[in-house]
Amino acid sequence: MNIIVCIKRVPDTADADLAIDRSGRDIEKTGLAFDLNEWDSYAIEEAILLKERFGGTVTVLSMGGEDTNESLRKCLAMGADEAIRLTDPAFSGSDGFATAKVLAQAIRRLPYDLILTGTQAEDDGFGEVGVMVARLLGLSHVAIVTRVEMEDGKIRAHRELEGGLEEVVEVKLPALLTIQTGINEPRYVSIMGIRKVAKKEIKVWGLSDLGLKEEEVGLKGSDIGLERLFLPLVGEGAQILEGKPEEVAAKVFEILKDKGGLV
Amino acid sequence: MDFELTEEQRDIQKAAREFMEGEYDKEKILRWEKEHAFPFEIWKKAAKLGFIGIHFPEDYGGQGYGVMENILIVEEFCRKDSGVGVALSLTDFSSEVILRFGSEEQKKRYLPPITRGESISGGAYTEPNHGSDITLMSTTAVREGDFFVINGTKTFITNGSLADFFVVLCQTDPQARPTYRGQCTILVEKGVKGLEVSEITPKMGIRMTSTAELSFSDVRVPVSNLIGEEKKGFYQVLEFFDESRIEIAAQALGIAQGAFDRALDYARQREQFGRKLVEFQITQHKLADMATKVETARLLTYKAAWNFDHKGIDPKLTSMAKMFSAKVAVEVADEAIQIFGGYGYITEYEVERFYRDAKIMEIYEGTKEIQKNTIASALIGKLK
Amino acid sequence: MKEIMVVAEHRRGELRDITWEMLSKGRSLAEAMEGTLSVVLLGKGVKPFAEALRSKAHRVYLIEDDRLEFYNSETYERVLFQFLSEKKPFLTLIGHTAQGMDFVPALAIRLGWPLATDCIGIEPKDDSFTLIRQIYGGKINAEVSFVRKAPYLVTLRSGAFSVEEKKPIEGEIVTTSSPLSDEVLGRRFIEYVEASVGEVDITQADILVAVGRGIKDAENIPLVKEFADSIGGALACSRPVVDKKWLPKSCQVGTSGKTVKPKVYIAIGISGAFQHVAGMKGSGTIIAINKDPKAPIFSVAHYGIVGDLFKIVPVIKDKIKEMKK
Repeated sequence: MNIIVCIKRVPDTADADLAIDRSGRDIEKTGLAFDLNEWDSYAIEEAILLKERFGGTVTVLSMGGEDTNESLRKCLAMGADEAIRLTDPAFSGSDGFATAKVLAQAIRRLPYDLILTGTQAEDDGFGEVGVMVARLLGLSHVAIVTRVEMEDGKIRAHRELEGGLEEVVEVKLPALLTIQTGINEPRYVSIMGIRKVAKKEIKVWGLSDLGLKEEEVGLKGSDIGLERLFLPLVGEGAQILEGKPEEVAAKVFEILKDKGGLV
Repeated sequence: MDFELTEEQRDIQKAAREFMEGEYDKEKILRWEKEHAFPFEIWKKAAKLGFIGIHFPEDYGGQGYGVMENILIVEEFCRKDSGVGVALSLTDFSSEVILRFGSEEQKKRYLPPITRGESISGGAYTEPNHGSDITLMSTTAVREGDFFVINGTKTFITNGSLADFFVVLCQTDPQARPTYRGQCTILVEKGVKGLEVSEITPKMGIRMTSTAELSFSDVRVPVSNLIGEEKKGFYQVLEFFDESRIEIAAQALGIAQGAFDRALDYARQREQFGRKLVEFQITQHKLADMATKVETARLLTYKAAWNFDHKGIDPKLTSMAKMFSAKVAVEVADEAIQIFGGYGYITEYEVERFYRDAKIMEIYEGTKEIQKNTIASALIGKLK
Repeated sequence: MKEIMVVAEHRRGELRDITWEMLSKGRSLAEAMEGTLSVVLLGKGVKPFAEALRSKAHRVYLIEDDRLEFYNSETYERVLFQFLSEKKPFLTLIGHTAQGMDFVPALAIRLGWPLATDCIGIEPKDDSFTLIRQIYGGKINAEVSFVRKAPYLVTLRSGAFSVEEKKPIEGEIVTTSSPLSDEVLGRRFIEYVEASVGEVDITQADILVAVGRGIKDAENIPLVKEFADSIGGALACSRPVVDKKWLPKSCQVGTSGKTVKPKVYIAIGISGAFQHVAGMKGSGTIIAINKDPKAPIFSVAHYGIVGDLFKIVPVIKDKIKEMKK
């Protein structure tokens, strides 16, 4: 089985104090550590687990500059077989839609039975690229997948809904799944893995290699464009629930129900 | 001139960091530290991932990398946790004596299990009456037919209670002049008749590492356990220290960086007098000084490692790196406690452990005074 | 007149809250733009929902089909493609929920309409909209705008828009035919399953009820434990509770304890020292109960209740038991 995994390298901002840079359109990135998007690390692990069970190859794709090689190398070290970086000056400013077009165009040039992506990225959090890629390629898909089982050319997937509920669906291959965190335990990179990577070459495909036109990608080929960034109001704090204890209790019940807090 | 790590080295560094971040569990670590317990589970996992003995050639189970790659791992391990880092980094202690001077058979037998996390090595050099001075050993090895008979006592032996075998420095010819020309190194496996191991405990720091006294009374080992040539023991051990002290420098560097990381985090969060600690200039200056020291220690340590891999042994550079990084570790951990204030004195907040673990860096594998001797002798040459 | 369309979301016989949130926001947008508000409802036997929705929109489009009994991205995409292509609403609002995330991106591609996902703010601007999204895990807000022209698709984050009471509209129900036939689908709904309840590993719990110093005595722990049980949550605590050995160390959240990121974190009698906050600030929704209105916990909490926990917790516990029935 040939599996393609789409990944993204993102700044690790979970524990960082973020500031907006002078342009007002980007964050101050100096001092931030970058890593494979958390969701993608689960996607690559799931791909490798499937490969270990059913054979085949895992190819990793990512759109990004040279720095992205670091994350691609990590995937190779974890056990992927091939890595391709999609890069072109024309890609800059791409939103999820433009990114999906670039990825889909690259995937058309590759053999595959299954495509995995993370459910969303830690930075933009569009949560749309995977499903868009599926549609562009005319494939069935399942989003927010927490469990994958394979049988007779079909995937039985659990997808996460709100409030501790899961939906079980079946899709025919080829298909695309967007992977949710927690589906597996992403492995550590081993030194043996790193040594293997040293011998591998990461392919680079640009706009013309993909047969895309400039107006299809970047900001021009996007649905949305960034106007400005701003910091959320700090210290505005909690919304205070007021009223009699019974009224407050009812409100708490609603909040719990809404936020998946009732099992 | 290029100050950048290679792509591969960065990958190794990152892999080591992610591994330790993943394995780090403060509750367990505080317990191991309290109980003087070796972190077996992390060690096994680390070995499985190839982190142990990365600098051994592939033929001996290693990954064929150099000292540089090895110390990147040591630094990252100690940065995340000084106790676990030191313990793991020392599991192959003294194996380099076999690697550099041992026979093919010895290398094949003793090295691969270390890389697999199945065996731990130890080096028995220090004696109760000699400390860092190893020019004359009271421990003797007398040849009797196909055997050496060893008698004597070794103390402060790293991995004493854990090691599966020791490289033991013995005096074979007490008449030799200078005395160190009458020494050899001999492999002694644990459990042999006449070898007694007594753990030295409790101790100030590196509590996840065993430190023990070994007493040899008529311990008989086959002559084939001799490492290299008979009169060369002293030189082998000196050469080994010139390599291993780079690793100690890296331990110290990691500890310093780890203490700094914690101090910076704390200063960012902690408020005093209505302001974050980092907003006070006095804290800013402290952090600036600490970071500068750490960076300087790193430059020196990396240079020593690079030099070893590319040019060979340079005792002066190694001793400078070891001495300086150790000093930086103690100073930075001390300052980290100061930034934490009262919390810094409490075990839960960890910097006090980093401080305790840092102190040994100035003592073991040659005190800072011994390092100064080495540096000075390289600078001045032999005095008549 | 510009039409704003809301795609209603429901599951297992209940309209989901996001539907009301979208209708509330849709209404104010429609008013600001002098447009009309419609809602489209897909399903089988969902006429009662249509009735319920009437008061909130000018039109309720009802598309019923046996094949729509359970949500399926492929049937939703087909039905909505056909429907929206015909109606061409200026703006279509859909929930950025497990359902919306699953079908909307595909629908957008099929329609060829621009999509902005997971918005927490949307206001009309000229002939388009200004949208607010959160990036970097909510640490930064981004104002974005559409590059392309209407019709627009926007998905809204649940809970980001409040439901405002407005004068009922009493719109009309427009029954619309389903374009589905017995075509072969690539995806099939099998069943719903309840996610298995984990062991008491607080880092794995979806809901945590944490107690702090305010609980005052070990005897009071069962009160909070019962509350946690009633909502299927696990019990956690802050440092002083462990120091006093009221709960085991494994329950402790904070720098010297565990770091947790449950969906819901309820902090009871916890002041919110940074050591504690560091271990739970990543939680999805934080509800704090504390008698001190200035307690720092209220600046990290999303919802706060100022008052005596011994008075409030029992009432909430009973209320939840009652409402769950």
